Amino acid sequence: MARGLGNITKMDPAELKMLKTRIDIATAIMIALIAILVVRLWHLQIRKGTEYAQQSENNRTRIQYIAAPRGNVLDRNGEIIIANRPLFNVVWIREDAPHPDEVLKELAKILRLDISVLLERIRAGADHPRYLPTRLKENIDWETLIAIENNAFRLPGVQIEVVPSRDYRYGEMASHLVGYLGEINPEELAANKGGPYMQGDLIGKGGIEKQFDRYLRGEKGQSFVEVDVRGFVQKRLRAHEAVPGNDLQLTVDIALQEAAETAMADRAGAVVAMEVNTGRILAITSLPALPLHEFSGGIPADVWQRLLNDIKTPLINKPVQGQYPPGSTYKIVTALAGLNEKVVTPDTSFFCSGSLKFGNRSYGCWKKGGHGSVSLHRALAESCDVYFYQVGQKLGPDVIARYANSLGLGSKTGITMEHEKAGNIPTAAWKLKRFREPWQDGETLSIAIGQGFNLTTPLQICRMTAAVANGGTLYRPQFIAAVKDSTGAFVSQFQPIVDGTALGTPRMLELIRDGLAGAVNEPHGTATAAKMQDVLVAGKTGTAQVVRLAIFQQTSESNVPYKYRDHAWFTCFAPFDKPQIAVTVLVEHGGHGGSAAAPVAKAVLTRYFELHPLASVPPAETEPAAPAATP
Amino acid sequence: MFRFDRRLLQNVDWVLVGGVLLVTLMALLNLYSATRLNDAVGLTAFFKQFYFNLMGFGLILLIVMVDYKALIALSYPLYILGLLLLLAAMIFGETVAGSQRWIDLGFFRLQPSEPAKLILVITLASYYYRKDTGKGFTLPELFVPILLALIPFLLILKQPDLGTALMCLIVFASMTLFVKLRWSTFAVLAGTALAAIPLAWKFFLKPYQRQRIETFLNPESDPLGSGYHITQSKIAVGSGLKFGKGYLHGTQGQLDFLPERHTDFAFSVWAEEWGFFGSLVFMACYFFVLLWGLNIAVTARDKFGMLLAFGIVALLFWQAFINMAMVMGLLPVVGVPLPLFSYGGSSLLTNLIGIGLLINIRMRRFMVAT
Repeated sequence: MARGLGNITKMDPAELKMLKTRIDIATAIMIALIAILVVRLWHLQIRKGTEYAQQSENNRTRIQYIAAPRGNVLDRNGEIIIANRPLFNVVWIREDAPHPDEVLKELAKILRLDISVLLERIRAGADHPRYLPTRLKENIDWETLIAIENNAFRLPGVQIEVVPSRDYRYGEMASHLVGYLGEINPEELAANKGGPYMQGDLIGKGGIEKQFDRYLRGEKGQSFVEVDVRGFVQKRLRAHEAVPGNDLQLTVDIALQEAAETAMADRAGAVVAMEVNTGRILAITSLPALPLHEFSGGIPADVWQRLLNDIKTPLINKPVQGQYPPGSTYKIVTALAGLNEKVVTPDTSFFCSGSLKFGNRSYGCWKKGGHGSVSLHRALAESCDVYFYQVGQKLGPDVIARYANSLGLGSKTGITMEHEKAGNIPTAAWKLKRFREPWQDGETLSIAIGQGFNLTTPLQICRMTAAVANGGTLYRPQFIAAVKDSTGAFVSQFQPIVDGTALGTPRMLELIRDGLAGAVNEPHGTATAAKMQDVLVAGKTGTAQVVRLAIFQQTSESNVPYKYRDHAWFTCFAPFDKPQIAVTVLVEHGGHGGSAAAPVAKAVLTRYFELHPLASVPPAETEPAAPAATP
Repeated sequence: MFRFDRRLLQNVDWVLVGGVLLVTLMALLNLYSATRLNDAVGLTAFFKQFYFNLMGFGLILLIVMVDYKALIALSYPLYILGLLLLLAAMIFGETVAGSQRWIDLGFFRLQPSEPAKLILVITLASYYYRKDTGKGFTLPELFVPILLALIPFLLILKQPDLGTALMCLIVFASMTLFVKLRWSTFAVLAGTALAAIPLAWKFFLKPYQRQRIETFLNPESDPLGSGYHITQSKIAVGSGLKFGKGYLHGTQGQLDFLPERHTDFAFSVWAEEWGFFGSLVFMACYFFVLLWGLNIAVTARDKFGMLLAFGIVALLFWQAFINMAMVMGLLPVVGVPLPLFSYGGSSLLTNLIGIGLLINIRMRRFMVAT
C-alpha cells in the first residue's frame, strides 16, 4: 500500500500533459453533445413548438355538446301549446356502487317498485361498460325525484339522468299539426350530412316539429373540457352557450281547435277553420288524434301496427291528405261555371221531379219527391241535384274543371304540411289518359254534383269557401303567424300570399253566397243545423258517396257497416255580410252533411264569435252590400 | 490516514456543492409537479426523494473525510460486493413490470445495478492506475478490464435492463479510451464492437427491446403502442414553447398523458412547464456541474484521482445525454434515468456518492500524501 501511495506523487509530466489533452478532447465532445441537445430542444420547442402545442391541446380537450332548448309552439294569442320539460330518469352506474344489494332495496322502496323489476333492468344492461348508466325507471315525478336527491348519500351508484322532452300542454290536441320528436335515425343523419345533427339528437318526425325543425332546434352549445388520459373530465375550460330555438307562433287559436275537436268527439274526420281575408288557419284538426304520449322515444312496433290497422285511419292527416269526393259542396263550382259561362241566369229555372232521365238511365235527386221548379238560389239552398245535372250537362267536364281549378281544387294549396294531396278534378283528357276510355256524358252529371272522379281535401274546400266569401281571392293557407327568437324579437312574420283569383264576377259570387245563406237560414235549407242566433251563417252541405250499392240504398243509415257509410261535408263562412271565417267539416262515414257535419261547424263558429263579438265591429261596415240575404 | 485534516475544509469545492444543490432542488420541485396528482405514487415519492437527498448529502460528508485513494485497496472487495448484490437481485429480487431489478431491504428497495455502475468506475480507475506502464495498453493487458465490465453488463442485461447494462460498456469504453491505448488495440476493440452490434441484435435483445429500437426509428408507425412514450414526450417538450406552460400547469404531465414522468421522463415535465428558456437554465446548471467535474479531473493531485473523476463524470454525463436525447426523441427509449433529477433512491444515492468522490478529489488536490 505504501508503495502504491508513493507512486501517486510521481506523475510523469509528459503523461500528465497527454491526459490533460484527452480531458480537453472529452470536454469538447461533451460540449458538442450538449449543443446537439440544445439544438434539439430548440427544434422541438421553438421551431415545431406550435405544432406540438396544438397536439397537446388536442390531447387534453374534448368537446361536450350542450343541448339547445327547443323553441316553444304558441297559438295566435301566445298560449303555449308545446314547451320543454326535463324528463327525469333513474339510472344505475355499476362502477359507483360498492353495495348494490342494500342500495337497490332502498331504491325499490322509494320508487315503490318490486326489487325484482330493478334487478331485471340491471341484468338487461349487464353487458354495458361499468361506468355507463343503465336506466332503472323513466320519467319519475317530482316527489320521487326529491326523495332520491334527499337520500343520495345512501344511494351510491344511483343517479338522476335529465333528458330534454316535449311538454304537450294540450295533450293530443292538434296532434297532426304539431307532430312529435324522435331520435334521429341513420337515414335522416345521412340526408343531413354536414348539417347540425348528431347521433342521438332529437329531430322532428312529423308536423310542425319536422317541418320547422330548423327554427325550433336552436344551436347546440359546446363545452370544452379538459380530460386526463383516461378521458375523465378534470375541468371545464370554456363554452359556447347553446342558442335556444326560435318560438313558433301559430295562427291557430287553440280555443277554436279545442271547440272543433270537442264537437267532433270520437268521430273521425277533419275540421279546418280559416280567416277568409288572409288564409290564416284558425283551427286544423285530423281525428282520431295521434297518441303523442306513446311516441316519445320512437313509435313502438305494436302501437304502429295498431294505428295502421285502425279503420279510422289516424295516421292520415285528413285536412291535407284525406281525399274525398266533394259531394254537394262542389255545386258551388258548378253554379259559378254555369253563371259565368251563361248557361244559366240567376232566374233560369229547371223542374225537379226527383230524378232526371239521361240517356237510358235515371239520375236521382237526393229529395225523392223532387223540388219542383228551382232556380239558382233554391238549388243551392236546398241542394237540388237535378238543377245541377242540367247545368253540368250544358257545361261539360272540361269547363267545370276550369272553374274548379280557379277555386283551388285539383292542385295542392301549398300549405307547409307534409304529403299534401292535390285531389283530382277530372277532364275528358284526364279520363282518356287514366282509363283509356272516352268521357261518358253521364259522368258529367255525377261530377256536376261532386261525385264520381272528383276528389278534394277538406283544406281545399275550406279555401274555396273562403274565396267565395272574400269575393274570389285564393289565399295560400298558412298556420305560422311569426317566428320569434328567444328574446321575443321577430325572425319572420306572417304575410298573406295570394295564389289566384276565382273565375267569374263578384256579382256571381254574391249570388252564390246568397244561396249558401239560404241553405243555413231558410226553412227548407239543408244546413239549418248550423244556423246561429246572432250571426248570419252561409254554408253548403255535402255527402260524399263511398260506395253506391243497391243493398245499402234501401236500408237506413245505421245498418250500413261503418266503412261503407257516406262521408258528411259541411263548409260555411260567417258573418254573411262581412265574412271573417270559413269553416269546413268532414265527418268520415258520418252520413249526411246537414246532420253530422253542420253542428260541428256551428260549435266552432259559436266559439269564434264568443271570442270576437260582432258588436265590436263598427256597425256601418257590417251593412250588407246586397239585399239578397233574406229568403 | 483516517484522521481528518481541518485544513481540508478550506478546500471544499463550494461551487460544485452549490451546483449540485441547485440541481437537486430543481429535481424536487419537478418531482412535486410530476407526482402530486399521481394516485399510485403521490406525495410519498416526493418525501422519499427528499429524505434520500438528506441521506445522500450526509453520505457526502462521510465520504469526504476519507482520502479517496483508500478506494484503490477497496476496489476489488467493492466489486465483489456489487456482483453479489446483482446476483441477489437475480435470485431474490422483486419482479416489477417484468424485470427483476430490486432487492427489498425492508426500509428501502435497493436497485443494485445503480451502485454497480459506480463500483465499475472505481474498479476500472484503480486497475488502470495500477497497471499503467505509460507505454499504452496491449490487447492482452485489457483482458481483465474487459472482464470487469462484461460481468456486470451480462448480469444487468439478464434482469433485463438494457439501458443500465449498456452504461457499463459505455463507461468502460470512455475510461479505456482515456488511458493510453495502442492503435492496434483500439482498432481490434472498435472492430469487435461494430461486429457485435448485429449479433447482439439477433441474440441478446429481447423482442420488446428490438421493438423499442424499431419504434424509435419510426415512432409514428405505432403511436398508441410502443411509440406512445416517445410521441407523448415530444409533445410535452415541444408544447412547452419559449416560456413553458407554467409550474404545475403542464397538461401532458398533470393529466397523465406522459408516462414514467417522475422517473425516466422527468425532464419532459420540466421542459413542458418551464419552456425553452427554463430548460436552458436547467441544462446550464446541470452541465456546468459535469464540466466542473472534468476540471476536477484536470486539477487532480494524482492519476488515480484523474481517472476516478473522469470515470464519474463519464458515468453521469452519458446517462444524462442518453436520457435527454431519449425524451426528446433522438435516441430509443432504453430506460436510462437522468442522474440527480429522476426519481429513484438507489440512483440518487449512488450519484451523490459519486459527487462526494468528486468533492473529495477536489479538496485534496494540494495535499501531498503522507
